[in-house]
Amino acid sequence: MGFSKEFKKGLWDEIPVLRVILGLCPTLAVTTSVENGIGMGLAATFVLLCSNIAVSALRRFIPEKVRIPCYIIVAATFTTIIDLSMNAFAHEVHKNLGIFIPLIVVNCIILGRAEAFAGKNPVRLSIADALGMGIGFTMALVVLSLLREVIGNGTLTVWRDLGLVWSLPASYRPTLLLILAPGGFVTLGCILGLMNRIEAARAARAGTRYTAPAEFDCRHCAICKWGSGK
Amino acid sequence: MKDLLKMMAALLCFGAAAGLLLAYTNKVTAEPIARAQQTEKLAALSAVLHEFDNTPSSETNTVSHGGRNWCFYVARKDGKYAGAAFETSSDKGYAGEIVLMVGVQSDGTLNQVQVLSQNETPGLGSKIKESPFKDQFAGKGLAQTRWFVKKDGGDMDAITGATISSRAVAEALRKGIEAYSANTAAIAGTE
Repeated sequence: MGFSKEFKKGLWDEIPVLRVILGLCPTLAVTTSVENGIGMGLAATFVLLCSNIAVSALRRFIPEKVRIPCYIIVAATFTTIIDLSMNAFAHEVHKNLGIFIPLIVVNCIILGRAEAFAGKNPVRLSIADALGMGIGFTMALVVLSLLREVIGNGTLTVWRDLGLVWSLPASYRPTLLLILAPGGFVTLGCILGLMNRIEAARAARAGTRYTAPAEFDCRHCAICKWGSGK
Repeated sequence: MKDLLKMMAALLCFGAAAGLLLAYTNKVTAEPIARAQQTEKLAALSAVLHEFDNTPSSETNTVSHGGRNWCFYVARKDGKYAGAAFETSSDKGYAGEIVLMVGVQSDGTLNQVQVLSQNETPGLGSKIKESPFKDQFAGKGLAQTRWFVKKDGGDMDAITGATISSRAVAEALRKGIEAYSANTAAIAGTE
């Protein structure tokens, strides 16, 4: 399996939030503005990249039975490093994301990729996997936060410090529901439905039958031995 | 037994390596973090105080009120008392403590409010640090205003969907202003 194949799978076929349905807690919580979505996505990508490299490089030294605690230590270490570094050098973004930076450690994408991929594959492919998954996660956050912020708040904030802020005319009355917590679920559900629709159309064109992920039981997820045809 | 030792050794190594790495990161970032917080405080001071020609961050008066010590940064213009800034906080926020910097003027009105730290929900409660909400306090008389949100019979507008955060800000303001009003003479140094 090549570098680009591992990289590309995170962008559509196994895009974390929308296909594998992992990492939903930060997704639903921070996608109230595009700026937060980008910040969260990049911070998680950094942690994922470091943790994948470390887990993959050390995979022969990690005893099978205690691998989960080891992965958690690795993820927690890099999360704390980025938490402290952002506090020191990107103080504003750090203040915006607040509690959600330390919570990257419990983002199941990090542990999921360590367990499903980095623990079994060489460093080079693990880097590709981390980059693909990280960028896929960021993309999902951006799409979700774009819809929620524009419709729910009437603004578009890409990067406040650089002045990349736009707002709809005052005559637009924002649909507040979307920016509130239930709006996260509603928007995510609509996007998931759309993804299934697109996949079904693609399958129909290719002459095969499309089965939505939910109908696979848990087998669409590659983490355990029953997953993804392994 | 051998297995057990191996597992313990692995966990010990991981823990030790993580600890060392974090100790080093903490050492490197401690100073920039302290500096960023100090800069933020100074910026907040000059944002909430109206006109001054002294350095309020080095001219402080501490008074005790309501079981708590309040540190007031005194602003002077041409040697005369111009106003004061103080930090106040409330732990009634939706997600932990909300810390504010408040500037008041010698004529008994509020000048500006800045949020120093908060962990409110991004996009909802975090709006307490944004314009329409935090600007409503400018120029309000300290004694004439009822420092409660409108739902509680006061004069403050709350943020839609973030009543708890708005209430916490109201509480912080109320406590701070009480402390200031009760000790104005001592703070201004005109006793």
